[in-house]
Amino acid sequence: MGVLLLIPILFPLLAGIPVFRLRDRKIRRVYVSVVVVVNALLVYGLAFLPDVGVSVWTITENLSITFYMDGMARFFSCLIASVWALVAFYAFEYIQHEGAEERFCGFYTMTLGILIGLSYSGNLMTLYMLYEMMTLITVPLVIHSRTREAIMAGLKYLGYSTFGAGMGLFGFFFLSRYSTGITFTPGGVLDMGLVAGHENTILVVYFLMMLGFGCKAGMLPLHAWLPTAHPVAPAPASAVLSGIITKGGVLAIIRVSYYIVGPDFLRGTWVQYTLLILAIATVFMGSMLAYKEKLLKKRMAYSTVSQVSYVLFGLFLFTPEGLMGALLQVVFHAVAKNILFLSVGSIIFMTHKTYAHELRGIGKQMPIVMWCFTLSSLSLVGIPPTSGFFSKWFLATGAITPEFGALGYVGAAVLLVSALLTAGYLLPLVRDAFFPGEGFDYSKLEKKEPRPWMTVPLIIMTVFVVGLGMFPNGLTAAIDSISSAIL
Amino acid sequence: MVLLESTNVLLLILVFFPFVSGFAGYLIGRKSKTARDYFAIAATAAEFFMAVGLCFTSGEFFWNWFAGFGLHFEADGFRMVMAVLCSFLWFMTTVQSREYFSTGARNRNRYYMFMQWTLAATMGVFLSSNLYTTFIFFEIMSFASYVMVIQEENPKAIYASNGYLGYAVFGGLATLMGIFMLQVNLGTLEMDQLLDAAANSGASYATLFVAGLLILVGFGSKASMYPLHTWLPETYLAAPAPATALLSGMLSKGGIFGVLVISANVFLHDYNWGMVVLILGILGMLTGGMLGVLSNNLKRTLAYSSMSQIGFILVGVGMQGVLGEHNALAVHGTVLHIVNHSLVKLVLFMCAGVIFMNLGNFDLNKIRGFGRKKPLFAVIFAMGALTVMGVPAWSGYVSKTLLHESIVEYIAMFPTLTGEAVLFKIIEALFTFAGGLTCAYMIKLFIAVFVEKNTDPTLQAKYDAKKKYMNWMTAACLIIPAAVLPVLGIIPGFTMDEIAGVSQSFLHGHDPAHAVAYFSWTNLKGAVASISIGIILYFLIVRMCLIQKNAEGRSVYLNAWPKWLNIEEKVYRPALLQVFPFIGAFAARTVASVVDVTIAGAQRVLFYDRKERFSPPLDPDFATYSQPKKRRMIPNSIAFSLLLFGLGIISALIFIIVWAITRM
Repeated sequence: MGVLLLIPILFPLLAGIPVFRLRDRKIRRVYVSVVVVVNALLVYGLAFLPDVGVSVWTITENLSITFYMDGMARFFSCLIASVWALVAFYAFEYIQHEGAEERFCGFYTMTLGILIGLSYSGNLMTLYMLYEMMTLITVPLVIHSRTREAIMAGLKYLGYSTFGAGMGLFGFFFLSRYSTGITFTPGGVLDMGLVAGHENTILVVYFLMMLGFGCKAGMLPLHAWLPTAHPVAPAPASAVLSGIITKGGVLAIIRVSYYIVGPDFLRGTWVQYTLLILAIATVFMGSMLAYKEKLLKKRMAYSTVSQVSYVLFGLFLFTPEGLMGALLQVVFHAVAKNILFLSVGSIIFMTHKTYAHELRGIGKQMPIVMWCFTLSSLSLVGIPPTSGFFSKWFLATGAITPEFGALGYVGAAVLLVSALLTAGYLLPLVRDAFFPGEGFDYSKLEKKEPRPWMTVPLIIMTVFVVGLGMFPNGLTAAIDSISSAIL
Repeated sequence: MVLLESTNVLLLILVFFPFVSGFAGYLIGRKSKTARDYFAIAATAAEFFMAVGLCFTSGEFFWNWFAGFGLHFEADGFRMVMAVLCSFLWFMTTVQSREYFSTGARNRNRYYMFMQWTLAATMGVFLSSNLYTTFIFFEIMSFASYVMVIQEENPKAIYASNGYLGYAVFGGLATLMGIFMLQVNLGTLEMDQLLDAAANSGASYATLFVAGLLILVGFGSKASMYPLHTWLPETYLAAPAPATALLSGMLSKGGIFGVLVISANVFLHDYNWGMVVLILGILGMLTGGMLGVLSNNLKRTLAYSSMSQIGFILVGVGMQGVLGEHNALAVHGTVLHIVNHSLVKLVLFMCAGVIFMNLGNFDLNKIRGFGRKKPLFAVIFAMGALTVMGVPAWSGYVSKTLLHESIVEYIAMFPTLTGEAVLFKIIEALFTFAGGLTCAYMIKLFIAVFVEKNTDPTLQAKYDAKKKYMNWMTAACLIIPAAVLPVLGIIPGFTMDEIAGVSQSFLHGHDPAHAVAYFSWTNLKGAVASISIGIILYFLIVRMCLIQKNAEGRSVYLNAWPKWLNIEEKVYRPALLQVFPFIGAFAARTVASVVDVTIAGAQRVLFYDRKERFSPPLDPDFATYSQPKKRRMIPNSIAFSLLLFGLGIISALIFIIVWAITRM
């Protein structure tokens, strides 16, 4: 049974190769859509498998390439496959004005395989390998335009990511010395007999690993690649980079914290508080810089820095509420940020406007796109009944407990200040778009709504961003079953 | 008579029907504007009749799987009163909107849709039975009403709506923080459990008090509580008149509703809490009253009047806490003043709307004399004015008397007139004085619009000739609420006491020890005092100071509204938009660039290279480099030097090793 897990990993990887030679736009479009949709269906189907695994290659007794299906794997793979399929349709249309469509579509398809592999990975070695592959295979997406700016940004992305992953690898060496294995096991695999007396070493190592993997998730101090690399990529690429690839870092952090080191070992240590403070600082910093940023895509990138650290804040609480809030935020942010980047992309695609102050009256030109933008903005701010409110509810109530004392209150307060700033950097765009003001010349307006290829994915995601806020019970039940297994 | 019990689906329909009808109206509006107008009227009428129908039912409605923690609505006395009132106001203003916007304003489709959505959200707030539900609909209400505020899209509307949105977001988040704290410390947000939870939980009083204050920030700012009122004058001035009637009449009560929930549950009979609310109420009551007298703009005066009357309501809320167990008078006064103020502001703002419809202006100097020779209009306006002034035989008198009596009752509880008793004597005097201010500005408005002649005779002739100043629909929806006010006021025992009676359980109140004799001399005295003060203030301040001759020798109303007192302009906006972002961004940039600067610094050091000097060309063919450009930069950089240094060390080490081996 476990062999089935390899299908959604290898299928897009192999199917992606011929795309580089598919010159015909129509055939390529059909081909790639079939691949991503079939792969999404495969992932959904496999989610019904019981917890099974497969070892592809055993190097030593401990080191092996292993894929394993558990709750977390189901959660991340379904999320990734769904968003990937939706964005694909948008990407076909968008990438036409960027050129080199075959290359983009090829790498786009192959990345999906790597990401599914990342979410299925069953031990630290597999995770590390796919994590590095994820970095490498997304570089072409970042430097797609091949301008000097894009290439420099790509290098920065590569540098930061490999440095971060290197820190993770360094920790891997240490941890394998003190643990019974490297297979992901709920509650951790530390051998307490070996650890005794070396607790602080483990904590330092864990801390460095978190900084390293936190790089991908845009956590301080290694966040700087994100606002450089995301804006230069084509809009669909920035959307998945912000919405999905950052979650790769989140997944690595979850795996190491909850499945290798174990929350019981970490709870109440200085590492936990330091990481919480780093996450809080990142939340504030990202929102603040987004508030000050004029360039639309860069503003969204800073917003990602802030929003993904909401997730990390929840994870580092090591409580069921925190984990619930974090995983909800993973989904809601993935969807909402994709909508934001794709709507900004639509604006760029249709009108070539890239600055925040140029959006006056755009809501009259592209009402569907801007309605999607508005609703997902409200979700990102956390206005009920959109979904963002719901995840923030868990994060904040999870933080305000006697366990965390003042830090919990500060954390909750910063989440709310950040929400205020989020309103400050998103809602003025909405206002300018829909309320252009008295002297606005309506006669010059023409309908600029993009084709359904672009609007339909936006609408579907918007339905989710609002609908999941109103009816989150299925999702919370799923997360409950995951978290009850590991906490 | 109870038709439905326990699971009362009507509650759900009341809340969600306007969402649907608003959207349907939008679609209809794309085909026909007239059809849309009538559809909106029909929808709000249906909502009103359903709300009336609610009074014959009881029970609750749970929707467990909505928004995670479920929605919880309840039909009890106070909620029914508010629901009926709310749908009534919407019905009336929707009727008026048709004529108000008949001049072909833009974006009416949008206006109607968001007006109905705001109705749905406001209904949700008033029917909610736990704070989670309240908060969800409170936020929807804030954002949906934003669209009504910015409707005109002129610079003033955009400025005002920015403030409105800022308060909505900021207040909403403050309230949310408070709700988080309640949820964590009390373990419940159900309104009927909060009282017990607060009494029995281990949470410290200080924590709960902070939570309460945070919640008060959000709900209070929506209710325009002092000092969170600064958005109010600009917003009320910028919004279309029917929307203003709703903002003042109903949306502010949404905020009050939240304040009541906290005051009557978490802080039931709590002296400290009562004092906080009482003092804020008094400040609002006086500030609003004074600014109302000073302004020379009809709508701005009415806006300040709204702030002042909310102050009266908050005084009632505060007195409930201060009085403790024996707060029946304060409970009744609060509820009745809420009802009265909603109806009064409906009448007055719709009158303002009629004036604006005809003249396009609210400036007292421009609209002066418009109401002459329009007896119907004058009577309608007078009904509102007399009510808000608290003249006996109008309903405002009843609620003000109750509020006044509650203060008097507290003073009577002290054996001697010392310490606290003196404080409350002063509060009583201030209360009467604030009533006087109300009278002064209402007299000012009435005389300016309906008695005096315009200083421009040709304009006055035009006003006098204007006989068709509103259509029958607008007239009907002005006459109905205006007629209700004296009816309520003349037979308070049968009407107002009943309303207060069914509502009191919401506030954990009980019947007063004895029925209040509203028309006894002791109670009339207060009203007489207020009205006398009002008349004196009118002659002293308005006639002597605020009306002066201008250069042309005509007497004009001065705008004595002190600009330097604008705390939003002077404090809030600079603090929130300049100081905070400056400090925050400075800190954020510093933190954010640590790694980048380190890397850049390392690159500079490692790849340091002497730059070629480039001399700008004097003519295009002869640009020169003072140094010929090198092919590679590596041989010049520190990195290269380090490489050579490293090679040197390696060779030295090899030499040492070889040397050591040979010596062994």
